[in-house]
Amino acid sequence: MAAHFDTEYQRLEASYSDSPPGEENLLVHVPDGNKLPWHHIENLDLFFQRISFYPSKNGFTCMLLGEVFELVQLLFVVGFTVFLANCVDYDILFANKFVNHTDSSKVTLPDAFLPVDVCSASIRDNVAVMFVLMISGVFWLHRLIKFIYNVCCYWEIRSFYTNALKMSMAELPYFTWQEVQARIVEIQKEHQICIHKKELTELDIYHRILRFKNYMVAMVNKSLLPVHFRPPLLGESVFYTRGLKYNFELIFFWGPGSLFESEWSLKPQYKRGGNRLELADKLASRILWIGIANLLLCPVVLVWQILYAFFSYTEVIKREPGSLGARCWSLYGRCYLRHFNELDHELMSRLSKGYKASSRYMNCFLSPLLTVVAKNVAFFAGSLLAVLIALTIYDEDVLAVEHVLSSITLLGVCITVCRSFIPDKHLVYCPEQLLRVILAHIHYMPDHWQGNAHRYETRDQFSQLFQYKAVFILEELISPLVTPFILIFSLRRKSLEIIDFFRNFTVEVVGVGDTCSFAQMDIRQHGHPAWMSEGKTEASIYQQAEDGKTELSLMHFAITNPQWQPPTETTHFISQLKERVQREATGDRHTLTSLSGSEPRSLIANFLAGPPSLASLHLGQNGSLTNHGPVGVSDGASALRSLSVSSMRGSCSSAHRSAGHASSASRAMPGSSTDARTASSGSSVWEGQLTSLVLSEYASTEMSIHALYIHELHKQQSGGELSRHTWHRQDSDDSSDSVTEEGGSGGGNPNPRNPIPRSHTFPITTPISSPVAPLQSNSQRRYGGNTDSVGPGGRVVRSARVPMGGWTEEGRGGQHPETVPEEGSEDDMPPNIHKVFTHTHTQILCMGFHTLFPSLLR
Amino acid sequence: MNCRSEALEVSVEGRQVDEAMLALLHTILLHRSTGKFHYKKEGTYSIGTVGTQDIDCDFIDFSFVRVSSDELDRAIRKAVGEFKDAMGNGTDGMGQISLEFYQKKKSRWPFSDECIPWEVWSIKVNVVNLANEQERQICREKVGEKLGEKVINIVEVINRHEYLPKMPTQSEVDNVFDTSLKDVQPYLYKINFQITDTLGTSVSTTMRRLIKDTLAL
Repeated sequence: MAAHFDTEYQRLEASYSDSPPGEENLLVHVPDGNKLPWHHIENLDLFFQRISFYPSKNGFTCMLLGEVFELVQLLFVVGFTVFLANCVDYDILFANKFVNHTDSSKVTLPDAFLPVDVCSASIRDNVAVMFVLMISGVFWLHRLIKFIYNVCCYWEIRSFYTNALKMSMAELPYFTWQEVQARIVEIQKEHQICIHKKELTELDIYHRILRFKNYMVAMVNKSLLPVHFRPPLLGESVFYTRGLKYNFELIFFWGPGSLFESEWSLKPQYKRGGNRLELADKLASRILWIGIANLLLCPVVLVWQILYAFFSYTEVIKREPGSLGARCWSLYGRCYLRHFNELDHELMSRLSKGYKASSRYMNCFLSPLLTVVAKNVAFFAGSLLAVLIALTIYDEDVLAVEHVLSSITLLGVCITVCRSFIPDKHLVYCPEQLLRVILAHIHYMPDHWQGNAHRYETRDQFSQLFQYKAVFILEELISPLVTPFILIFSLRRKSLEIIDFFRNFTVEVVGVGDTCSFAQMDIRQHGHPAWMSEGKTEASIYQQAEDGKTELSLMHFAITNPQWQPPTETTHFISQLKERVQREATGDRHTLTSLSGSEPRSLIANFLAGPPSLASLHLGQNGSLTNHGPVGVSDGASALRSLSVSSMRGSCSSAHRSAGHASSASRAMPGSSTDARTASSGSSVWEGQLTSLVLSEYASTEMSIHALYIHELHKQQSGGELSRHTWHRQDSDDSSDSVTEEGGSGGGNPNPRNPIPRSHTFPITTPISSPVAPLQSNSQRRYGGNTDSVGPGGRVVRSARVPMGGWTEEGRGGQHPETVPEEGSEDDMPPNIHKVFTHTHTQILCMGFHTLFPSLLR
Repeated sequence: MNCRSEALEVSVEGRQVDEAMLALLHTILLHRSTGKFHYKKEGTYSIGTVGTQDIDCDFIDFSFVRVSSDELDRAIRKAVGEFKDAMGNGTDGMGQISLEFYQKKKSRWPFSDECIPWEVWSIKVNVVNLANEQERQICREKVGEKLGEKVINIVEVINRHEYLPKMPTQSEVDNVFDTSLKDVQPYLYKINFQITDTLGTSVSTTMRRLIKDTLAL
């Protein structure tokens, strides 16, 4: 017995010990170590921002050199200006005074310089110059410190790219942002960059990078920022410069006493509604002080702007004066056209794609009067110039005559400017279609532009988005003078609305912090019933984003980030929309096909087969448009489907899929077979890169299609009833004038059964003010041309603001959410197209559009 | 931002403040401390043991477990004492004491080491005035119960499988753990307090942020 017990209880010596210190059999751990220091980064906002900027700066060396040169440039501008002001004897330079040289009579440049001691004495005596020098010295030092700091940061980012993301600097240019992002998401699983969540989503990264930009976009969208003005003489105009933007950001986001207590959280008192009046007062007084500070600093900034503009643009103007006539997307335009959660480079590539069409559109509107004048001025200037040049060639002593050289230069500039006013004889424009192509890229436009592309009002408003470069420079120059007044007189009055905005539209997201709730792209909270989210949205008018911003942003984000897993309702919305686009593209419902199904096709053709004119030419030759219309459409649709399927799978690097993808694309689009083949026959090394680039290109095409589709549907849905105007949505109700004009101008096309344009510069779709309500227009519409672009009597529903910052809903009764499918258009279509074909020889350019956009001809 | 934050709130009588605070802070620190690390060759280490100790409160019907390290206790008592002094005695008041766990990140020469918090516990304290002994008795029990709940809260939070700094190698142990104590090794921590719900942050943090902001981008 006893022996038995002995065997039961034995000391387990090997496996267990009481671990007195110093003994050998301790439990031994291996530290995880911090092999890579990328876990738990403090300021993720900044970190992600830098990561997203890094590729655009083309790597470390470029960035370093760029910054160094910027510093040197600064020194140079100040030094050179002071030198010019103090150390040059202009009398000698202008030969008003003779230099007594013994050996030669030539005046050299050094002769004109004052001796060093005279020069330095004059600088020292001049208090103003010393003051300027001191200020710029301080500024320069600040820049220098910032530079050193930046270099350290970017060095860190560089090592993040190489060590953590495993991308060498040499191959960085070949990666798209989506791939970088995918790797960051991977890294998070391993290193926990963000400690709140196990996994980062794409949306989190975007939210962090674009936290403040999303707020700005939302504020512009809700017309909260005072950027629309009505100065006497100039009419309605937009003033939004970099200086103003800087001040806005200073006030809202990061300046002393701003609304945000740190980069990621709004101060708690601004989240409570309790003392909003008090906070608004506080904000107003802050704006006042910042405005006054601006006013005080105004001379310094102004001088700086002038100097900078002088040094950077004079040479350009001299070299190619035409560049001033060129246009650029204005700062306001970039804000207005930006989606929520859209990175800088995405926006810029989108806008750049729209640039050509936009400048063509703007060129439609050269005033004939100006053209005549310009032609004649150019003639006279040209003849003078020709004579001068001929004389110079004959004997170059002519140049020595006073002012000959300068007049040659001036005449040259004059001719170039004039030429920009003379339209190209061989081009024919069709504003409506151009605007549609523009819309495919820029994705946003106010409702009332549709069908009014030919009007000068539309042009003027578009020019606010797409302004002359010269205007841009001029605005920047006067910005220091105007900014303080805008702050003090306009922005200050809005302080209560701003407080309300930040309170109502800030949500706290776990792992991200406080973000703008619009940026969540939640259809339920911010959807607009007139933009596809009827029945899904629960937003009040105040909460709805204008211009379908929520819906379009959502589509854009889902398309550009196929890996993103949206919440279920959102997924439902996206898939529903995609399905609709595809179904209607395949021609299940022929009526809608004619409206929207053909557009994707033209766009795909545009994108795949190169320039639009080529594409249309090609399609025209095929003749598939008249006879095999539906077939072509379904081709386009299948191409679209293959795009969306593969991009949804996110097969970025799979070479196998790329081949299949390319072949499917080539099957679908015969015109693009060359492109597809190059894609599929690429060497295996490049295949992945190429595929991802091609895919991102397809994604942008897909987005364009969806944007057009959404706009088209919106147009149908709102039935021409322009319930609210974004464009003029200031606090004044001046929105009515453009609308009533629209309604009133209807008489332009007296015969609705004859929709064939008389000329292609003449509008095709002149709206008709029809007294018929859209609902009963099932038969009416067939004969009524484009009743859908204008409502009964062009009614406007104005929005009034209630004191709490919300909008009351008034009389939206006339809206018919249910779209009435137009059955009649089927019969109408073929003859129109045939008629269009009789026009072919005149308008190669337009033809493609007409055949591809048959809806416009009904 | 990249930091978890947990908030607790208690209402106590004036004389209970320090015991309540000690109870909560010690409970958190008990779970955020390890034994001393003894590094061996080839980057391995063994962990020493941590003793625990039961403490009974005088003014509350409550007892809690703490790490039996006098040094740690002294450090915490000192912080709590300062907090209580700042609150003033006997009057109604609000205060907030926060326990912040952080990690140091070595930076290159021109910058000092960064302290990056990864978890912040903020405990809000409401001090109430009681009229008579009977209320005090009730309060004594009530606060005890409340503290018990809080302790369970804390344990729940800590049991969640969430981010903790990785176990460091010998050279980096100072970046993660407070190695100054002889018998125990808590994660690096800081105790701050704030009296009344003052709006805005202190001047120094504002200045620091201003400088950083102007430097950034």
